[in-house]
Amino acid sequence: MFTGVLSLLEWDLTSPDRSFVGLDNYRRLAEEPEFPHALTRTGLYVLAMLPFATVVPMALAVMLWKRPGRASDTYRSLLFLPVVLAPVATALAWRFILDPLGGVVNLTLGGLGLPEQDWLGDPDTALWAISLITAGKFVALNMLLYGAALASLDGRALDAARVDGATEWEITRHLVVPQLTGTTVLMSFLCVVFAGQWTFTNIAVLTQGGPDNSTDNAYLRLYTYAFVFFDAGTGAAAAVAIVVLLTVLFAVSAPLRRRHARP
Amino acid sequence: MTGLMGRIRGWRLMPAVVVAVGLLAACGEDSTPTSTSPTPGAIPTLDSATQVTITFLSYNYGTPGLGGQGTQALIDAFEKAHPNITIKPQGVPVKDVLTKLRTDTAAGTPPDVAQIGWSKMAEAVEALPVVPVQQIPPEAEWKEHTAGMSPRILSAVADDGLVKSMPYTMSIPILYYNADLFRAAGLDPAKPPATIEEVREYALAIKAKGSEGVYYAIADTSKSDFLTQSVVNSNGGSLVGGDGEVTVDSSAAVQALTTMQDLTTSGAQPAVNSDSAVAAFNSGKLGMLVTSTALMAGAQKAADGKFELRTAGFPAFGDKPAKPTYSGAGLAVLARDDAHKRAAWEFIKFVTSEEGFEIITSRIGYLPLRDSVATKLADTPIMKLLEPSISQLDTVTPYTSFNGTKANQAVVTLQDEAVEPIVLRGADPGPTLASAADKIRRLTA
Repeated sequence: MFTGVLSLLEWDLTSPDRSFVGLDNYRRLAEEPEFPHALTRTGLYVLAMLPFATVVPMALAVMLWKRPGRASDTYRSLLFLPVVLAPVATALAWRFILDPLGGVVNLTLGGLGLPEQDWLGDPDTALWAISLITAGKFVALNMLLYGAALASLDGRALDAARVDGATEWEITRHLVVPQLTGTTVLMSFLCVVFAGQWTFTNIAVLTQGGPDNSTDNAYLRLYTYAFVFFDAGTGAAAAVAIVVLLTVLFAVSAPLRRRHARP
Repeated sequence: MTGLMGRIRGWRLMPAVVVAVGLLAACGEDSTPTSTSPTPGAIPTLDSATQVTITFLSYNYGTPGLGGQGTQALIDAFEKAHPNITIKPQGVPVKDVLTKLRTDTAAGTPPDVAQIGWSKMAEAVEALPVVPVQQIPPEAEWKEHTAGMSPRILSAVADDGLVKSMPYTMSIPILYYNADLFRAAGLDPAKPPATIEEVREYALAIKAKGSEGVYYAIADTSKSDFLTQSVVNSNGGSLVGGDGEVTVDSSAAVQALTTMQDLTTSGAQPAVNSDSAVAAFNSGKLGMLVTSTALMAGAQKAADGKFELRTAGFPAFGDKPAKPTYSGAGLAVLARDDAHKRAAWEFIKFVTSEEGFEIITSRIGYLPLRDSVATKLADTPIMKLLEPSISQLDTVTPYTSFNGTKANQAVVTLQDEAVEPIVLRGADPGPTLASAADKIRRLTA
């Protein structure tokens, strides 16, 4: 409620003067190129990370589920590391790894005779680099959630298929994956919600939205309006716009989620 | 022999240092803060039995390098000298200083003392409840403390004769170079480049031998434009005109940034951000680095045992005089009650005393703002590395801020939307600067 009211004001966060400006802040958001651009980039982040929120963790979870044991537990723990490590420390580690003049990635590429690249400094690669760095967190967490879904599968149906001579690939493709569709729909929706938020720290530490605003996203833009440019009204308007967009998306996708939630 | 020569050079340097610190100050206004400056709320000394804890927001504190260690040394020395006052330091990235101050102030918990960069100071003083530092102590105490500092330094930062924030850390851009890479490229380390044309030539020679040539830290990740100002001023232009008008798209500015761009497109300069370039220089992979003297102590430590570090003055554009701009920070007081204001003043008084500036210069590498400290340290290695900058101080130009409460946003716009795309990614300088200038004019109108 407070954010909604704030979005109708012009206020610099500290001044006692707050002036009512009606819908001016929303008009600015729509007319100036920065916020629409940030929304578009947020969409690209979602698209880039969707496979890492669904296909990759599902494949890993199925592989580990099929080979239970100590090795499987060890792999699961290692893959879960991106979730438990401090986000800023992880981002700083990536800065050194991707450093254009001495990072491990470029040293390796140079050693192999391949062209080196400023991964975070080139507008063509920066967004994808940020996406890949953030993707590790999606893979780690969603692998765990897929593992929970797999644990609830009825093993008797799978055993029956094996007795009937089905191969492991056929069992996975025709019995396991279809039963994970509901989980996959949920993971996709969570990716839409969290892709922008989880990239925030990596963007803030590694690129600050640059180069040429190529790594900007809606949440960073909101932060920039409110806490870098001290335009609390426009920041609040951006927050309201994000909430409205997510609500619409949630409503539109409700039938799909309901269909796959049925037993 | 070396020691003798060192002492001779040191003594020759000493008067230059003393004179030069005065010259730095001469860049400010001619009027000095007068003895009649108002001190309506002057607060007497704290009772020694009164225990006070004050918060100190600093972008140097907590950093892993020498800036962090030097700041910690200042705090330790102060607490030893003032056992009744405890400093609770808070680290913050330099680009987030204003954000932290604004949000803390909005939450009702501003720090008692804050280190604020000069590029952000005008906006901070306008938007935050800064207590003018000169009004905290009684007038006689203020005069006694500032007696060893050049009045012109204080004038340069004063507003209508009143010092609102205390000059604390000051630096100017300098050319650092790796003498070993010079030799490997067949260049004479005793003859460093003096002009940007020579810088380009030297850089390409170093590049031809497999290392990186030069880096002007103009696309600064901390979003400061002090090096942009230095480059444009040295080409005879400015970012802000005499009556406050925005001149970032003047022909001198376009030409200056075109020259910076040429360094990149010719291969003399790598197209990377300033953090990568500084790391490359410190690891001996970059021949020359043009950036603030604030990085001096860090570069000195990094080079120790790895390569021979030398310095030269800020390069000129052809036969025009080099006009580096000073940068750094002041200390602003945001304390709300008398006890905290007085404790804040005691802290500021200590860190800007002889003992404080000795730590600041020798441990971090900022310029000493007291003649006596410059004299005392004249024979030290760090002051010898600072010598080229000091000899250039007669052409140093004051930092100029954009007008209004959106000055910082204007600087970010200039750096992100013009300087970085032009210098690192080949954007057309004329239209890019014109577009940024239009936006900055709207922000500062």
